[in-house]
Order: sequence, then C-alpha cells, then structure tokens
Amino acid sequence: MRATRRARLLLVVLLLSAVTLTAVDAQGDGLGGVRRTADRLLGPAQNAVSGAVARVTGSGGQDDAALRAEVARLTGELRRSEGLQRRVDELDRLLALSNAGTYPMVAARVSSIGAAFGFGSTVTIDAGSLDGVREGQTVVNGDGLVGRTVRVGPVTSTVLLLTDQGFTVGARLTRAGTIGLASGDGDGGLSYELVEGGSVTVGDALLTTGSDTFVPGVPVGRMTAVRARAGALVTTATVAPFIDASSLDLVGIVTEPPRGIPRVPIQPSP
Amino acid sequence: MSVRRGALGAAVVLTALLLQSAVLFRIPGPAPELLLLVVLAFAVVEGPASGAGTGFIAGFLVDAGSDQELGRVALAYALAGYLAGVVRTGPDRSRFAFLGAVAAGAMLAVTAYAVEGVLLSDPRTTFTAWVGALAATVAGCVLLAPLVVPMVGVLVRRLDEDPRR
Repeated sequence: MRATRRARLLLVVLLLSAVTLTAVDAQGDGLGGVRRTADRLLGPAQNAVSGAVARVTGSGGQDDAALRAEVARLTGELRRSEGLQRRVDELDRLLALSNAGTYPMVAARVSSIGAAFGFGSTVTIDAGSLDGVREGQTVVNGDGLVGRTVRVGPVTSTVLLLTDQGFTVGARLTRAGTIGLASGDGDGGLSYELVEGGSVTVGDALLTTGSDTFVPGVPVGRMTAVRARAGALVTTATVAPFIDASSLDLVGIVTEPPRGIPRVPIQPSP
Repeated sequence: MSVRRGALGAAVVLTALLLQSAVLFRIPGPAPELLLLVVLAFAVVEGPASGAGTGFIAGFLVDAGSDQELGRVALAYALAGYLAGVVRTGPDRSRFAFLGAVAAGAMLAVTAYAVEGVLLSDPRTTFTAWVGALAATVAGCVLLAPLVVPMVGVLVRRLDEDPRR
C-alpha cells in the first residue's frame, strides 16, 4: 500500500470540505444558489438527453402518449367515483367540495428515476421554478398521487414519491370515510394508520384529505392487508399505490395551492 | 495536472452523469452506478489523488441534483476513489486486481453514504436499504468495470502520449 503524502493531504481537505458542505446545507437554505447554478448548467442537458431517449425508445410517441393519458384519466375518474356516493351524502351536510382534477397544473416529464445508491424513492422532472413549480407542491398523474416536490431548481425538480419513508399524507377511505395517515414504507407501498380507529376493509381505496400542501381528493392507493392486533391502539393497513413508480412518465404538478375548503354560505331559515 | 487532462476528466464525468441520470434508469432492473464506476476507474488508472479529486467533483454534481444535503455523495465518492487508488497501487499487481479495487471502492461508497444517513437521522437509511444498495452497487460496478476501466485507461494514456500537450 502506498499513498503519497500529497494524496493523503488532498483526501483530508476534500473530506473536510464535504463535511462542511453537509453541515451548512443541513442548517438551512444557505447553499440554494449553488444548487440553482448547477441546475441551470446541467438541467437543460439532462432534459434534452432524457427527452431524446424517450422519443427513440418509443415511450413518448404522440398518439400513444395521448391514448395512454386518456386511459389513465378515465381510470382515475372511475376510482374517484367510488367514493362519490358517500361524498354526495356528505356534501349537503359538510358543504365541502372535493374538486380533484380542477386545479391548475403544470405538465412535466420524468427525466430520471432514483436517489443516490437507491436510498429513498425520488424522481427528477423536467420542470422547475421557471415553469411555476415551487417546493412542497402536489404531484399527480392520471393514476393518482405521485408525491410532492422537495427540491426545485430553475429547470428541473426532485419529486419525493409517496412510497418514500419520508413521505406522509392525510388520507380518507372512500367507502368507510375514515381518516388516517398514509406513509411510504420505502418498499414500494404505503402503510396507513387510522387516527381514531374505525373499520378498514381490504380493497377499499384512499383519497387525500387535503392540507396546506396536498390537494384534496387525489386517489392514493388501495388497501391490500389489514394488521389489526388485539390490544393495539392504532389499526395499521398496507396500501398499494395506484401509480406504478417504476414506469412514471408524464406527471402534473398542482401549481396553485388549495385555498382551503370552498364554503357555501348558509341562508338563515326564516 | 494539465488543462487537457482536466478537460478529459470533465468530459468523462459529465457524459457518465448524463448517461446515468437520463438514460440508464430506463433499463429494467436497478440502474448501475456508472458515475461511481468512472471515479473508481480514474482511481485505478491514476492513483488515489486522482480518485479522491474526481470523486469529490462527481459526487458534488450528484448532490447538487438531489434533495439530500450537499456534500454527502461527494464525501462517499472521494473516499471510494481514494481507497480504490490505494488498493490498486498495493501489493496485488495481477491482471484482475482492478476488480478488487473497484469492489472495495463501491462498498466503501455505499457504506459511507449510509453512515452519513444514520448521522443525519435520515429515515431512508435502513439496514435493508444498505444491504440492497451494497449488493446492487458492487454487482453493477464489478460487471461493468472490465468495459469502463480499460476505456478510461486508453483515454488517459492517449493524452499522456500526445506530444502536443
């Protein structure tokens, strides 16, 4: 083993620089400029190469894409309508509308899949702050919820997929109407915890409840198994997402944040 | 280091970065860490200093395009490049010693990244994720090494022999 003094010194300097960078970046957004510059320089090339490859491999044919988008839209519609009956009953009482699919969206194409060494589930999309994308916005496709934006550069953004361990969203069961939290399990699925107990049926679908960051009424996934242990305080269920994370292509970023639940004024009865 | 050597490094690293981020993920199965392999190839061909330097720059580019803290992949790649360079210049001078150097570097890169994840309490860093990443990264790097390492070797040697430099 021989490593020159110079090489050892270089390694020490580089490691210290890396640790400093990490420490500074973990503290806040002080290094946002560095990220934005890198994205401006590399983003366009990445978008161009990825788009060209998609055209060559045929996954981006115009007719094909339009048809698949239509099928995906209709499937999503079908799933949403599952929860419609229950919602219709509730609408009059709650005066709340879940107008999924009517928010202004920016369309984007997935230009890269995967985080460093496969730790975590993220994708990169070819839209950024220049297209109106901001951090923490809901990302959907025709199948349902894809995730939310976590890093936004000028021309590309990183989307945290709903299957990532760092992802959590409030979600409501379509048939039972129970509210709970769905979190990514890092293994291609989600786990769902009921907030206040209640019944969970295998096969039931989940829609987002809506929050500061998430648009309400977006289909999340379907229950595949329920783990209700005797004596356990919370019921946990496994959820398979509606989206296929391995073949994501076209996605929409909801660029206008939900303005809260639209309310209808109640007329005082005479 | 000459300007031409710097340009060669930048060209190879950027090509690998674009291939990895925009092309390789479309192939079914886990995408190989081509950029890490390029770093390890420079380490094997030129030694620990080149490996650490190339690793830091390549890793920084990966960091800049990810949602993770800056410097995480830079540290992992720099360590990996250094180790691969040290192993390669070590006592084992057989023809396939570079495979051992590549495997060692790949293992160190994944493990260093996982340790950083634990220190930063990143919820994605689990034992299963570490084992999976280790297997996929080492297998991908070792499988592609017989192709990539000689290519980088030829490019570097061409530059050395070039009388115009």
